[in-house]
Amino acid sequence: MNTVIPSESRDPLLDLKLDAARRGLAREVAPDHLEASLARHFRALRTRAPRPRFWWMPPLALAATLALVSWMVRGPAMPSHEGITVETTPADAGPFLALKPLERIALEPGTRLVSTQFPRALLADWGLPVAPERAGEPVRAEMLYSADGEPLAVRLVN
Amino acid sequence: MPPENLEPELALLARLKRGDEAAFVALYRRHKDAVYRLALLYAGSAHAAADVTQEAFVFFMTKPGHYDPGRGTLAAWLCGVARNLARKQFAGREDATDPSELADDSAPLEEHIEYQTPLEKLLRDEAAEEVRQALARLAPHYRDVLILCELSELSYAEAAQVCGIDIGTVRSRLSRARAQLAQRLGAKARHAGGEGSKEAVS
Repeated sequence: MNTVIPSESRDPLLDLKLDAARRGLAREVAPDHLEASLARHFRALRTRAPRPRFWWMPPLALAATLALVSWMVRGPAMPSHEGITVETTPADAGPFLALKPLERIALEPGTRLVSTQFPRALLADWGLPVAPERAGEPVRAEMLYSADGEPLAVRLVN
Repeated sequence: MPPENLEPELALLARLKRGDEAAFVALYRRHKDAVYRLALLYAGSAHAAADVTQEAFVFFMTKPGHYDPGRGTLAAWLCGVARNLARKQFAGREDATDPSELADDSAPLEEHIEYQTPLEKLLRDEAAEEVRQALARLAPHYRDVLILCELSELSYAEAAQVCGIDIGTVRSRLSRARAQLAQRLGAKARHAGGEGSKEAVS
């Protein structure tokens, strides 16, 4: 503690009176009800679902994936994209949805873009919303396939 | 006094950050009375001090990451939170005078004097009451260091951490504050003595 008060500042009367004040203060303790109240507050705070620290990462990653795949397919032809065969690019096509990790799609050699048509219910397998009353309707789409025929990405064509 | 081993407290802090209620309660029990006493000195009443104490610990449980062990003890940090909350809550009563604008031996302005302080209720004996009255008439920056170093018994380093000033400033302010307090207490004693002798003559 503070025991190095210069001797010229020492004042026996002052020290006595400060001791009395300290003794008075030492009798004071925090009210008992505070602990229970704070514990309740703590529990309430913990039960409230906290927003994950990096909550923005999944939507950002999805947007980046869509943008990059869209750029890869629709952008100007570059030497590194020689393997991509664009069979059709309708003007009213939407963005691509990656079905495989983006890194893998980017490294896939000899990809092909194929126009196709399939039942709308199949969209549900990829996690897309499908209205039950329209599940049987056919939907036009473009599929990006790997050289082995594995679907890599899809976009719907209106 | 050997330095306090901070390991157990830091372990509790780590558990608190993971959401461990028992760790929070353990830390609360360690520091509640010191925080409450400091709040009493600043806040004005037991009720207000309880509010300030509660707010300080709610802040702690909500943002435990704000405490940086590298910058001082948890005790001093909590006292600093309570002091700031109390000063904010009772801003109407606390003046905002820049300490540098006050001469060391200047007489306090009327608006600097606090007539109602928590000490009034908590210090019941005569000597303590004299200290209270004299303390209330000091400029706030002197009252600050007296409350922290003399009555709450924080170290100079901890008081410096709480006030956001360096240790040298704490030392010099405390020295001047003690001198002013002693002067006021001495003047009061002489005044009381004079009144006593007048009564004895009459």
